[in-house]
Amino acid sequence: MDDPSTDLHDTILSHHLNKSVQCRVLIVDDDDLVRARLASLLRLSNFEVEVAGSGEEALRIISAAPCQIVLTDWQMPDMDGLALCRYLRTACAESYIYVVLLTVRDTKQDVLAGLAAGADDYVLKGTPVEEILARMETGRRITHVEQSLRTSNRENRRLAITDPLTGAHNLRYLMRNLPRELSRCRRYQHPLAILSCDIDGFKQVNDRFGHQAGDLVLQAFVARSTSCLRKTSDWLARIGGDEFVIVLPETTVGGATSVARKLRRQLATQPVATNTGLVAFMASVGVTALEPDEVPSGPSAVEEILNRADRNLYASKRGEINGLD
Amino acid sequence: MGSIKHHPRRAISATENIATSEKLQELFAVRLQSERVHFVTLSAALARAEESPGGIFDDLTFRAHRLKGAAATFDFANLAAAAGALERASFAAANSRAAHTDPEVWEALVALVDMLGVIEQNTPRAPDLPPVLLAD
Repeated sequence: MDDPSTDLHDTILSHHLNKSVQCRVLIVDDDDLVRARLASLLRLSNFEVEVAGSGEEALRIISAAPCQIVLTDWQMPDMDGLALCRYLRTACAESYIYVVLLTVRDTKQDVLAGLAAGADDYVLKGTPVEEILARMETGRRITHVEQSLRTSNRENRRLAITDPLTGAHNLRYLMRNLPRELSRCRRYQHPLAILSCDIDGFKQVNDRFGHQAGDLVLQAFVARSTSCLRKTSDWLARIGGDEFVIVLPETTVGGATSVARKLRRQLATQPVATNTGLVAFMASVGVTALEPDEVPSGPSAVEEILNRADRNLYASKRGEINGLD
Repeated sequence: MGSIKHHPRRAISATENIATSEKLQELFAVRLQSERVHFVTLSAALARAEESPGGIFDDLTFRAHRLKGAAATFDFANLAAAAGALERASFAAANSRAAHTDPEVWEALVALVDMLGVIEQNTPRAPDLPPVLLAD
């Protein structure tokens, strides 16, 4: 005997999906009455509907705005349903398109050919409306799951290269992208500069004002540094507790020094407001400028550059070079 | 064919949808009247096409296939079956280069035209319908 609670659960689930998941369906059929009938049924089930009279028209609509489901007839003038399926499967769409073939062709060979062309489902015209809608709900559910996974993967990729506290790039990003900057510098014979920074007395900030205040100082450093950089080319990565690297492509030693000065002025303008009071802070900045001919290559190039930047940072701390103050 | 009009969508109420569905049924009834005229015209052409009925068979196949799909979509299962029978018969006749008197084709054609006539008699005459309905 059927369990009524299961039916109730399915109804609630279906209702929930209907209400919450936006799903755009493209109906492709050369018969305008068939299109209108299907569109009417799907709109009542809360699908957003577009219509096309041929495969070619369908592709134009999809290229203008993505659809989650394509419900297509088989026999149509110009590009038919099978050709449309094949095209959609070979094209590099940003997200998966669930394809349902809705046709009167009912032989086993037809079904196999439809599925082989890339259709996800094969429905005969004349199938009860409830069944067609149930199959469309399957498509809605699958495309929703696929979109959720895609969003989640995108977020994971972003988090993998982002420092969660400050929102700046992290060491992984630096190790992946600095070699690219070095090779670009060599190839196009452009200068490259690197600022190696750390916050002066950061341990004392943490000890005196607490770690929460320390976190605010790190966030303020990133926000103020970012405001000094070119948005399209410069970038900043947090590579340790209070250590940061700023990469300035196509920048000479003069340009890099003036960015470092500007950054230190920004830090000096106002203290950071924390729960334990105002915290004034400053950062040391080591400037490393590379001319294209002196950019190292090979697997140890990044390490070599970072060591050099570190040496310049400590020389700066000792007041030996740069004259930033 | 297949013109697309993009405009902002809004939710369609159940009442509106029933009205749309009824209007589509009425439009389909009008379509069936015109299909009957087409099939009668094609049968007259087939009767005269002693030399080369191939083109007529092709037209019958195409039109029957189209009617089969629309009839199935509008829940006219028997009509879809009759159209399917004509589609198969005329397709086979075209492939086998059959004569214009091919009995399977004529049997299926007459049955389909008769069925369309019965449907037409049982359908109340549709009022004048605005053509914009199909502009989706």
